[in-house]
Amino acid sequence: MTIHFTGTMLLQGIVSGLLSGGVYAMIALGMALIFGVMRVINVAHGTLLMLGGYVTYWLFALYGMNPFLSLLISFPLLFVVGLLLQRFFVSRVVGAPELSSLILTFGLSIFITNVAVMSWTSDYRSVEFLTGSFLLGPIAISKPRLVTFGFALLITVAAFVFLNKTKTGKAIRATSQHRELAQVCGINVRRIDLITFGLASALAGAGGSLISVMYSIFPEMGRGYVFKSFLVIVLGGAGNYPGAFLGGLLLGVVEGLTSLLLTAQLSEVIAYVLLVLVLLIRPTGLLGGRT
Amino acid sequence: MPSDLILEVRGVSKRFGGVTAVQNCSLAVEPGKIVALVGPNGSGKTTLFNLITGVERLDEGEIYFKGDRIDHLPPHKIARRGIGRTFQLIRVFPELTALENLLVVARQDWEPAYRRALELLTFVKLDQLRGEFAGNLSYGQQRLLEFARVLMIDPDLVLLDEPAAGINRSLLNDLLNAIRDLRAGGKTVLIVEHDMKVVMDLSEKIFVLDHGEKLTEGTPETVLKDERVLEAYFGR
Amino acid sequence: MKWGAAVIVVAILTGLGIMPFYVSNYVVTFTLQIFMWIALAESWNLISGLTGYVSFGHVAFFGTGAYTAAILITKLGWHWLPASLVGSVTAAILALIIGYPCLRLKGPYFAISMLGLNEVVRALVSYFDRLTGGGSGITLSPMNTILPLYYAMGGVALAGLVITYWTITSRFGLRLLSIRENEVAAEAMGIPTAALKLYAFLISAALPGIVGGFYARYVSHIEPLGTFPLITTITMIVMCLFGGRGTIFGPVLGATLLSLFQEWAWSRFLYFHEAIFGAIIVLVILLMPRGILGVLQQRFRLPRVV
Repeated sequence: MTIHFTGTMLLQGIVSGLLSGGVYAMIALGMALIFGVMRVINVAHGTLLMLGGYVTYWLFALYGMNPFLSLLISFPLLFVVGLLLQRFFVSRVVGAPELSSLILTFGLSIFITNVAVMSWTSDYRSVEFLTGSFLLGPIAISKPRLVTFGFALLITVAAFVFLNKTKTGKAIRATSQHRELAQVCGINVRRIDLITFGLASALAGAGGSLISVMYSIFPEMGRGYVFKSFLVIVLGGAGNYPGAFLGGLLLGVVEGLTSLLLTAQLSEVIAYVLLVLVLLIRPTGLLGGRT
Repeated sequence: MPSDLILEVRGVSKRFGGVTAVQNCSLAVEPGKIVALVGPNGSGKTTLFNLITGVERLDEGEIYFKGDRIDHLPPHKIARRGIGRTFQLIRVFPELTALENLLVVARQDWEPAYRRALELLTFVKLDQLRGEFAGNLSYGQQRLLEFARVLMIDPDLVLLDEPAAGINRSLLNDLLNAIRDLRAGGKTVLIVEHDMKVVMDLSEKIFVLDHGEKLTEGTPETVLKDERVLEAYFGR
Repeated sequence: MKWGAAVIVVAILTGLGIMPFYVSNYVVTFTLQIFMWIALAESWNLISGLTGYVSFGHVAFFGTGAYTAAILITKLGWHWLPASLVGSVTAAILALIIGYPCLRLKGPYFAISMLGLNEVVRALVSYFDRLTGGGSGITLSPMNTILPLYYAMGGVALAGLVITYWTITSRFGLRLLSIRENEVAAEAMGIPTAALKLYAFLISAALPGIVGGFYARYVSHIEPLGTFPLITTITMIVMCLFGGRGTIFGPVLGATLLSLFQEWAWSRFLYFHEAIFGAIIVLVILLMPRGILGVLQQRFRLPRVV
């Protein structure tokens, strides 16, 4: 079976991929922050994303709220959820072997996911708000993807401004570079942990809200995103936050191209093989970071 | 390259991101001596240990042990060739008993390993605590356990990373005697230590590191009179 | 002391052996499932309990064994017993392919790579649908009696226990524990951690491979969604953690207690027990990270053979 690839098809794949990549980048940034500051791998990250998606869905279904407007609610709401999770659960395993935090967040994700199933059933839900696409030259650009990319970009840039320009943001970066040194410099690392987890959860939740506009949501949707976020962190390099952003875009493009050239199922396999390869060959990430 | 040096470090460099931990460092250690590695905090001593034992990979340079190049080997192969080490931050096996901590690293059969382990535990005065989980031992006891553990693998070159830290005076004397016994037994000891009294007491040669580079080397007397050393430690 | 233990062991085994002739089919089936969970929890224990390398995708080996056996049974007419044994071989091969690169990664990276493994194997199974029946799966002819399966599954559970016993009381096992306790130190003392991790991983994958094969024969119809579910991994993990990770009988305890709980909870609400498993995992990690037997072992200085 021969398939003829035109430059247009490839370009289409790349463009679509970049647009999805923006959302990946935002979500992965959250996970990267948690890993950087607390050395915790938040397996529950996808679950937080799912919660954000449902917030948007319910606001849309019950009150007809504009899903992009609902970001104003899902973002702070998930920030608080993150704070609570950190305060009561995650804080107890910061500093413990990384194993413990892995299993802990794994357990949390299972619990929350199943409570979601019990509350909202496993049915797929969708937010029919923005559909269709328009043509830019020979390329079809999906409207929901473009707008969600725009919001993801906006939020991510705001996050970077926060990290680089505000006192708290700088404290977060300092803590993730050298926790002991940050403590010695008078930074209250416990408070930083709380804020970081809250912020990361908010980013995941926002990601969920944006995803709900593009795809159907269901309680178990978070699982794939944890793996992908981790892949993004590995691609960009742990502790390298701009790297995580670029990694997200890269993942989006790789996925876009593989679903073009192969089936969507195999794109998961490709992502997996990519992860293992990168971990083996350049564990500090394609763009360089800490191990 | 045949050599009568037991350890040779040649032009070794290691960078971590923007920080250069070790810069063009070269050392030569003769067998059967106790050699000290000193320098202010952050001068690269532990990194050098990590490079020698294969925990970190060097960016430049070579390391030779008994004339063979070892810098590309994985840590367990280096250990098997005869280099043993203790750690600055204690790394015992907390949920194994003191006895098991020694048995697990042994290479002989159970019987002789068991006897040797008991010997060593008695030597560091921990034989009564042999059934105690290592994690429950006191700081000083864990340090001694780590020391016994490295003896268990009978290395020709022993790297001790701040062995005296946190040990009270009475145990310290026993430890120093133990290190001297090692030399008497034909072993070579390379020790990182901040306690200058210990360094003066024990070592026959001192290497001084500062900011990852070798500042100077020599006998304890000459080194401590060196102005550059004084400046590195105490500033001007 | 040793004789007493041996007598108890023989008594239990005999009891389990003759039990099917005296109890209802329901009890036999239920015990068969407990055997299955014991084998799975013990195998997870071998890699994750002992070396501390958390395998989140362990059900991939179970599914691989199930599919291998099912294909051999339906396409080549094999008997289910040898087919399942081949299932363990394919599972071990998969473990070798994945383990060789991934075990070099530090703990959390390994765990995440295992998280993806399950999805990947499932995707591959769906993709090669000519061999595996794709989404519709494979159907085996029904069985008359589950008695042979009962003994077979019991045999695997017993094998899992024996293997764990041999491992933990051997130097191999002690070295695996040292990897969990402090891998850097273990390597610095000359322990070949990469090779040891791989052996443990292979063994821990072979067992679920056989179990998967028996499972395929038992349920008589397998398809990707039901054979690679996350809940199987979750159950393996929670049973091992709850009972006591790194101990010999901890997974048995966990498997038995939680199977009973699961049976009770199933009638209540389908997703309830999965949620509770999640909660148990959280509580165990926070309050009782070594599990029931682990805590008892520390408290009462029990020997490692517990």
